[in-house]
Amino acid sequence: MRTKKAVILLASILTIVILAGCNGDKVNNGGAGTEAEVRELVYATAKDINDMNPHLYPGSMAAQGILYESLVENTPEGIKPLLAESWEISEDGKTYTFHLRKDVKFHDGEPFNAEAVKLNIDAVQRNASKHAWIKLSTKLAEVSVVDEFTVKLTLTETYYPTLLELSMTRPYVFISPKDFQNGETKDGVTAYHGTGPYILEEHVTEQFATFVANEAYWGGAPTVKKITAKVLPAGETTLLALQKGEVNFVFTDDRGTDSIDVDAMQRLAETGDYQIVRSEPMNTKMIVANSSQASSPVSEKAVREAIWQSIDRETISRTIFSGTETPAETLFSSNVNYADAGLQKREYNPEVAAKLLEEAGWTNADGTEIRSKDGRQLAIKLYYDVNSSSQKTQAELLQSETLKIGMKLELVGEESSAIANRRSIGDYDLLFNQTWGLAYDPQSTITAFTSETAYLHTTSGLPQAQELYGKIEEVMVSTDEETRKGLYKNILTIAHEEAVFIPLTNGSVTVVAPADLQGISFKQTQFELPFERMSFE
Amino acid sequence: MALYTLKRVGALTPLLVVISFLTFVLNGLSPMDPAEVVLHAQGVPTITDELIAATRAELGMDRPLLIRYGDWLLASLQLDFGDSFITGKPVWSLLGPALLNTMKLTLVSSLFIVVLSIALGVVCALKEGKWLDLSVRGVSFLLTSMPAYWLAALMVWYFAVKLDLLPTSGMDTAGSYVLPVAVIVIGYAGIYFRVIRSSMLSNLNEDYVLYGRACGMSERKLTLYVLRNSLQVAVSVFGLAIPIILGSTVVVENIFAWPGLGTLTVNSILGRDFPVIQAYVLVLAVAFVLFNTVSDVMNAAMNPRLRKEL
Repeated sequence: MRTKKAVILLASILTIVILAGCNGDKVNNGGAGTEAEVRELVYATAKDINDMNPHLYPGSMAAQGILYESLVENTPEGIKPLLAESWEISEDGKTYTFHLRKDVKFHDGEPFNAEAVKLNIDAVQRNASKHAWIKLSTKLAEVSVVDEFTVKLTLTETYYPTLLELSMTRPYVFISPKDFQNGETKDGVTAYHGTGPYILEEHVTEQFATFVANEAYWGGAPTVKKITAKVLPAGETTLLALQKGEVNFVFTDDRGTDSIDVDAMQRLAETGDYQIVRSEPMNTKMIVANSSQASSPVSEKAVREAIWQSIDRETISRTIFSGTETPAETLFSSNVNYADAGLQKREYNPEVAAKLLEEAGWTNADGTEIRSKDGRQLAIKLYYDVNSSSQKTQAELLQSETLKIGMKLELVGEESSAIANRRSIGDYDLLFNQTWGLAYDPQSTITAFTSETAYLHTTSGLPQAQELYGKIEEVMVSTDEETRKGLYKNILTIAHEEAVFIPLTNGSVTVVAPADLQGISFKQTQFELPFERMSFE
Repeated sequence: MALYTLKRVGALTPLLVVISFLTFVLNGLSPMDPAEVVLHAQGVPTITDELIAATRAELGMDRPLLIRYGDWLLASLQLDFGDSFITGKPVWSLLGPALLNTMKLTLVSSLFIVVLSIALGVVCALKEGKWLDLSVRGVSFLLTSMPAYWLAALMVWYFAVKLDLLPTSGMDTAGSYVLPVAVIVIGYAGIYFRVIRSSMLSNLNEDYVLYGRACGMSERKLTLYVLRNSLQVAVSVFGLAIPIILGSTVVVENIFAWPGLGTLTVNSILGRDFPVIQAYVLVLAVAFVLFNTVSDVMNAAMNPRLRKEL
């Protein structure tokens, strides 16, 4: 009797569980069915889109990129009009006059005009200390309204990357002045109305955000009518959700990481439901050497060159990145502006590397494994980001390679913020780093050569340091294209010859999308995608 | 009884103060300048010395630690844990909804864990050594020894992708609860039913059972008595299970993209969002202490002998 009751109890519990499951199933299938008809894009994102205020930095750039627009656009063919139809630059390069498009409205219906441009840029400038990285913020003297659709920017001095910096995802983009809080944007905004091709419809923190096509978009309403950003923190779930069709789009995120691994992507593509599209190189992963500490072996050019030549980039690209990253031979890939400077490639060649060390006086005459010079061992510390498995693997590979040429590489894994701190106080021999990316290279990365929080300690120990800094200053104020090319060539040649920026691989953006999605292309930045150009077959 | 409750609650206050102080100090011991941490957390690309100084003053970081702690403690008593470093929103506006979501998951799971553990524990104790007992124990041993993330991935693959019965993740429909709840229940019920089972077994060997049986008491009634006495252990165990699950849903939440405390904390730790981490530790500490006290008081209510001990 007793057991029978227990069995009945157990059976009823199981029934409840199963019924609960069935209930959920019906609801979900209903949802999936309607989704298929509308054909929307649902992309997986490891992190919430966060605050969409375009004048601050916590938000997802991919999402900000479809809500807001800048005055001009950076394209492979150079700077092109966007919200500004045309512009004039004064002789001395200090005044920029922009003629705005007249048919643009913010998502809340407010008109986009010279007044809105002034309000936005002024709001950004009042918070200038947060925008120190973008040099224009330190050189902008005044924004004045000439007439309803003409606006004039006056600089304190000539600065050639002005248009480039105005084209960036943030901060010089425009939000409806009605969304300002007390006339400011620096302490938050009340809503997120931009002028872009998509409108933010709903945002549920840590769950999802939906964007709908801006039917009144000045460039024509986008074909893909709805985009959802779904938060999926775990790569395994992302893969399963892609297989099931709950999400149908993934791409390399803000921090340059892919949420699903290469083999899994390949298998998805083989099913025929998905396609993989990869962009041109977007940035360069590298090892940065500290030239400023005389006590460190890496302050010697020969040691840096030896490290450069003991890195097997082909193997790194093939085995660690499964071909998603390509070997990099110079600081900037050749598709970066002004980077085609005809620099000499340094091959992977451990014998040459060993010879360089020998010639520089690092010997192991006494038969020890590690070379030494003046009683000092050739021991070097390499710092890597503990959260990056690829950096760790590369570091280990390099450790075994350099050991063969008699160099002792000590690997230290730390949090990325601790590494950033080391970089700014100069407390390192070698550390992993990357260039800022296509939109910011070469100008922002090169300006960072002189910045204490970035690469000052990397470059300040070079014999040509003062010459280098002089040329960097000169190139930023240059007005003549030929002079600029020449100066960039000089700068890149010095950096290359001295081997302080040791390139590893070029990273790109990878997109996994439904097989029938057309028009997948890329922008001149790894942080945004032009969703408005995509359409279903 | 009221006095006992009062004493128990009184003993909690110093404990919570110590916990909160330790969290505050440990966060303060981080080798990095908090102002710099804030700016990194906000994603500011280049951080200048002037900006750090300005941020330090803005956050009140230039004041002594003890004064900052005092202010924080007083404010947090009113659920004002300050503003998140990353989003700038009040911490409670992030923690509140996340806590609620995790609570939903925890309570539904706990309900199943309690029902399932008691049912299995009783059945196994009554059938001790028989095939039913052996097979239940065997299967539960197998299931509880599987890592949660692996079990979760397998279940998602089978039920959501292959059979297409349930959503893979999210918190949209009632169906979304099934897989995460199942993973949690499998992990804990397999442990807790053993507690009930062994408690039942030891009670079945007590003299009062023999006496009752000798007096001709019906087996059904006898089982109920034994169960009631066995549940005393269970109350303390289940009382602590709730905060334990509350604090350990990280893996399950991460895999199922459940917007709860686990996800929030992992993101906060990675982004060094100290105000959120501090508030999280405090909330969890309160939950532990609170549930422990509640189960003690409940036990005392059921068993007068316990009241005299304090």
